[in-house]
Amino acid sequence: MSVDRRSTVLALGTARYITMSLIALVLLLPLIWLVVSSLRPPADIFAHGSRLGWSMLIPDRLTLENYTSLLGTGFPRAVGNSLFVALTTMVVGVVVNAAAGFAFAVFDFRFKNVIFAFVLAAAMMPFEAIVIPLYILVQSLGLIDSYAALILPDLANGFVIFMFRQFFAGLPRELYEAARVDGASWGHIWLKIALPISWPVVLTGGIMLFMHQFEAFFWPLVATPSPEHTVVQVAIARNISLEGTEWGRLFSSTTLAGLVALVPFLLFQKFYIRNFVTSGLK
Amino acid sequence: MSDRASAPVAVSEAPRIARRRSSDPMQPRTLVLLAFLLPALAFLVLFRLTPIVIAIGGSLFTQNLAGETSFGGLTNFAQLFGDERFWNSLKVTLTFNIIINPLQIAIAFCYALLVMAPGKGVTFFRAAFFLPMTLSTGLTAVLWNIMLDSNLGPVNAILEGIGIGRQPFFLSEHQALGTMIAIATWKGCGYWMIFLLAGLYRIPGELYEAARIDGASRWHQLVHITLPQMRRPLAFVFVADTAINFLFFAPVYIITKGGPNGATDLLMFRAYENAFTFINWGRSLALSTIILVIIGVIAAIELRLFRDKEGAEA
Repeated sequence: MSVDRRSTVLALGTARYITMSLIALVLLLPLIWLVVSSLRPPADIFAHGSRLGWSMLIPDRLTLENYTSLLGTGFPRAVGNSLFVALTTMVVGVVVNAAAGFAFAVFDFRFKNVIFAFVLAAAMMPFEAIVIPLYILVQSLGLIDSYAALILPDLANGFVIFMFRQFFAGLPRELYEAARVDGASWGHIWLKIALPISWPVVLTGGIMLFMHQFEAFFWPLVATPSPEHTVVQVAIARNISLEGTEWGRLFSSTTLAGLVALVPFLLFQKFYIRNFVTSGLK
Repeated sequence: MSDRASAPVAVSEAPRIARRRSSDPMQPRTLVLLAFLLPALAFLVLFRLTPIVIAIGGSLFTQNLAGETSFGGLTNFAQLFGDERFWNSLKVTLTFNIIINPLQIAIAFCYALLVMAPGKGVTFFRAAFFLPMTLSTGLTAVLWNIMLDSNLGPVNAILEGIGIGRQPFFLSEHQALGTMIAIATWKGCGYWMIFLLAGLYRIPGELYEAARIDGASRWHQLVHITLPQMRRPLAFVFVADTAINFLFFAPVYIITKGGPNGATDLLMFRAYENAFTFINWGRSLALSTIILVIIGVIAAIELRLFRDKEGAEA
């Protein structure tokens, strides 16, 4: 019986690893192919990259040509636009949402529950659902084709407010009371006491705001039509629809844009996943 | 204009909100409270609530050929309901969602179960399962559009090499929607895995201990302990996933433009085309309103479904 059981466990373990490996293969191979292709000379990309065999993944010639030739295109500008917009959203957004989260956690005011329910409803509603009426609104504000059009609608985030509220409400009230008795202003308490302690939420919320902005497609596509304000995601998508697409550059630019989103995730994945996920399930 | 009016209403209401307890040092003065609360609330009212008002209000106005707008009541909706393209789009959107949401959640659940128990290299697999998620939906579309290209794509080279033969994928009316579902699933499952994994770790270990003592099989444990305990995380993930997939847009815009022959003509793309290609704002806003209503209704149904079961259990 026990031998039988042990062999069952062993078989299950083996099956588990085989399944995991197969899934990982399906998920990773396209990404590896993308990166490898971006390092091939343009002439080789489809000559060798699409013939069944090892040449598909192992290039015979490596070059950074596809990356250096990006410099002469609108791509660097698009990267700059994306980073500027995403970083601004991140910094200002954290401040705005942390302040509101603090108010909901610490202050007592009329209609608090109703207003908080509104914040939660806003958190549940996906942004893309309102892109078209938002366009009409932003147009009437005269902001179409500006950085403000990309940044302003993305600053307040119901989910980030919620995360901050949960964190600040979990701190002992004596912390604030002691500071108040000492005569500290609320602004001081928030900036010098509450925010520094809440650094995991600052980090998680910041990454969320950054990623949402950096990966956005639909809104920047319509809100900033001119090349001057084009963001990375839209720039790459426009390249693909052009006649005579430069495949090499398409691979290198896609790789670079993917890397920008990957770096914050790799650096902070532990905090990000823990905070993001646990607050989502409460 | 009704959309402009809604923001100032919240502003003028706000000063009355703060309870005046000047003696209590734990209660802020009204101005302080507003300084904390107002920036975020004003942005939410302006950029979340106002667009909904605009969508509903604007859907009641129609345009003539000269571009002049006039109140048309439910004309836009009537025109939509009489339009075959709308019904096709609705059918495509519902088909897409009925398949993709359970599929993504089921696969994400399998991912989570696979990487839950510790073991050699599990951290690597967990990261690998999540990795496609860091590629944006737009970039996913760009990558797979090339991967699946009928002449130059490596997938077709492999299919030909192993004897299955080349497939048209996005170029075929019959394969395009399924291919969309496949690439979205390739990207999306790792994200939901993280949520489900957190839920799995919250299940008390004693439940499994007790079952093991009773000699319950692994399958029995999965069905009678894991699944009931996972109701809340599953409900959350289901609602969130549905909302995202109902708004599926970037791959349709980048790869198929709704084709071939309307096979991938999802509602969100319909709304986009009406607004920015046909410049028919009333109709586009009517579509936006319909999408908002559908998402709201489905979220309510899904939440109710999961809650009812929970109630029955208790």
